[in-house]
Amino acid sequence: MAPLNSLEKEYPLIDSNFQIFCASHAIYSVEDFLLHDIDALFTSATNCSSSQKLNQGIHQLLSIIDALHPPLLNGLQLVEDARQNKHVFSTGCQGIDALIGGGLRVGQLTELVGPSSSGKTQVCLMSASTVAKHNCSVIYLDTGNSFSPQRVAHFIGQSSDYVSGNQNVLDRIICYPVFDVYQMFDLLHQLKNNLRSKIGKSDRHVKLLIVDSISSLITPILRGSGPQGHTLMISAGFLLKQLAHEHNITVLVTNHVVGGDDGNSKPALGESWKSVPHVRLLLSRDCGGKVCNMSIIKHPAMASGRTATSVRLFV
Amino acid sequence: MNEKGREQPQNWIKGDESGADMLKRVWRVRPFLLPPPLHRVPLRVGNVLELVGPSPSAKTQILIQTAITCILPKNWNGIHYGGFDHLVLFIDLDSRFDINRFSQLLIYRIIEPYGESSRDYDKALYDLCMARFLYVRCSDSFQFLQTLKTLSRRLDKEKEVHGVSVHLLMIDSIGAFHWMDRASTFLSLKENSRKKLFLQSVSEAVVQDIKKLLQVHPMLVIATKSVIFWNKYSTASVEVKGSFMKNNWEERSSRNVTRNNQHFQYREYMPSVWQSFVTHRIHIRSSDDHSVTSKCQNSSFYLLEWLLPRLSFSDKIVVKDAGVFVDS
Repeated sequence: MAPLNSLEKEYPLIDSNFQIFCASHAIYSVEDFLLHDIDALFTSATNCSSSQKLNQGIHQLLSIIDALHPPLLNGLQLVEDARQNKHVFSTGCQGIDALIGGGLRVGQLTELVGPSSSGKTQVCLMSASTVAKHNCSVIYLDTGNSFSPQRVAHFIGQSSDYVSGNQNVLDRIICYPVFDVYQMFDLLHQLKNNLRSKIGKSDRHVKLLIVDSISSLITPILRGSGPQGHTLMISAGFLLKQLAHEHNITVLVTNHVVGGDDGNSKPALGESWKSVPHVRLLLSRDCGGKVCNMSIIKHPAMASGRTATSVRLFV
Repeated sequence: MNEKGREQPQNWIKGDESGADMLKRVWRVRPFLLPPPLHRVPLRVGNVLELVGPSPSAKTQILIQTAITCILPKNWNGIHYGGFDHLVLFIDLDSRFDINRFSQLLIYRIIEPYGESSRDYDKALYDLCMARFLYVRCSDSFQFLQTLKTLSRRLDKEKEVHGVSVHLLMIDSIGAFHWMDRASTFLSLKENSRKKLFLQSVSEAVVQDIKKLLQVHPMLVIATKSVIFWNKYSTASVEVKGSFMKNNWEERSSRNVTRNNQHFQYREYMPSVWQSFVTHRIHIRSSDDHSVTSKCQNSSFYLLEWLLPRLSFSDKIVVKDAGVFVDS
């Protein structure tokens, strides 16, 4: 946020006199102003000379803040927005759709947890192909070189009648190889800017964003003594959720498992990450079998532990 | 002299307020009981209740259910709903609020007196209640502070529109920005660096702003807090740990569960200014022994315990499609 002297041009009330007054209270920017007690400022302004102008300056700052704050909505507006924008996309597998109430919901961050080769990437590829078939773009951030165009083509070819349309469908899935967390942040910020300024034709119809897998990006930075690793993780979560909500995208991320205290496995990324995704699903595959199980760890409307037993996800 | 002498006793007899005014004043600050599962301790406006628990633990479900009770009217079309008939303000710091679940629970509550068989609900009542639910979403601490500073005026406007005032302030996940604030060292243009931590300053500003808001608009504040640091509890005989990778839920519930000396499994991470602001505290954790008799497919079980004021027993609560209930 802006330091006060940069606001002087646009708002003449914030002149140097006002800035000196603020400096006496250790307020140098709008952020400092937010952390300060406004009533105390008003009382000290009345004690100074030219208190009228100082009061006006304080009111001016308050109105600047007023213009920036998030809007106050009511329930009816939320329902209307959900009805118009926040649709549900099928994942391509009926069993999964039935388990999570229709499919992946726009505006929500869904997390797939599971040990390796439990089918997480397959679910991602299947969802990507299903969403792409509905004329929407998909952005796939691939951290482990696991994106397979042949598999996607197979999914598309499986349930469509014509062959020639496949090329168009595949064009809508854009895959970015990402190998560290800063690259991911760069890409996400770029995507946010493109969507906000509405440039870049390919980004306009993005409806699904997949990060496979987010844990391989974040786990390396979580070690270490400072809070920076956790901060980056939580910031990434907030950025994904903001993208999902403001630009009506559904986000799908994958996570792996680590050993827990008592020998059982638990999802990676720790306790703080647990409150970031909207929906958390656990995948497991019986040894050598073709049958995958999926159960709900967390869902806003379904009970945890609810399972889709013996969902034949992939043939 | 005579007149002055007469004036004084007259003023003394006259009284400060009429009976109606006094009732109005007392009615506002009268303690009331929230619906179950928060019904064990009476609360009043100005109290701050904190729901602590790991994720998932039905905290947001409890908030939604309490909000619905608040926005429902007392009576409608001859049916007694028992609501508080006031507005609710929900500040979403987690960005995880699901309006569809809220709508689903509200419809359940509206249909409930009519029995199971009815399908359609009273749309006018639904619209009235939904309009009474106010929602703000913040994505960082500065937006939260901005909202708090400008809230008083906006609440006045809403009061004029609806005719009733805000009774409940709900904050979903007060610790949502904890990590971001902890690592944040925003540029200070002073030569000397700040003496206080940024996290400390933000918490103080938040508590101060909420206190000021409560002076003008008396409300009951309910905040959820999720667990960030998980401490291994080391008690003498603990036979079960919270593992949820088990494939069979029946296997877990049939194990022998004994817990002696319940230790809190979490570490307090909010600054002391917030901790002293909280007047009541509830701890919710997952329950390991579900009764196998309940055949409900879509229900989860949790244990709810009052920490402040300390009650000696825990309630078992169950989350079903229709809401959160106390399992007796």
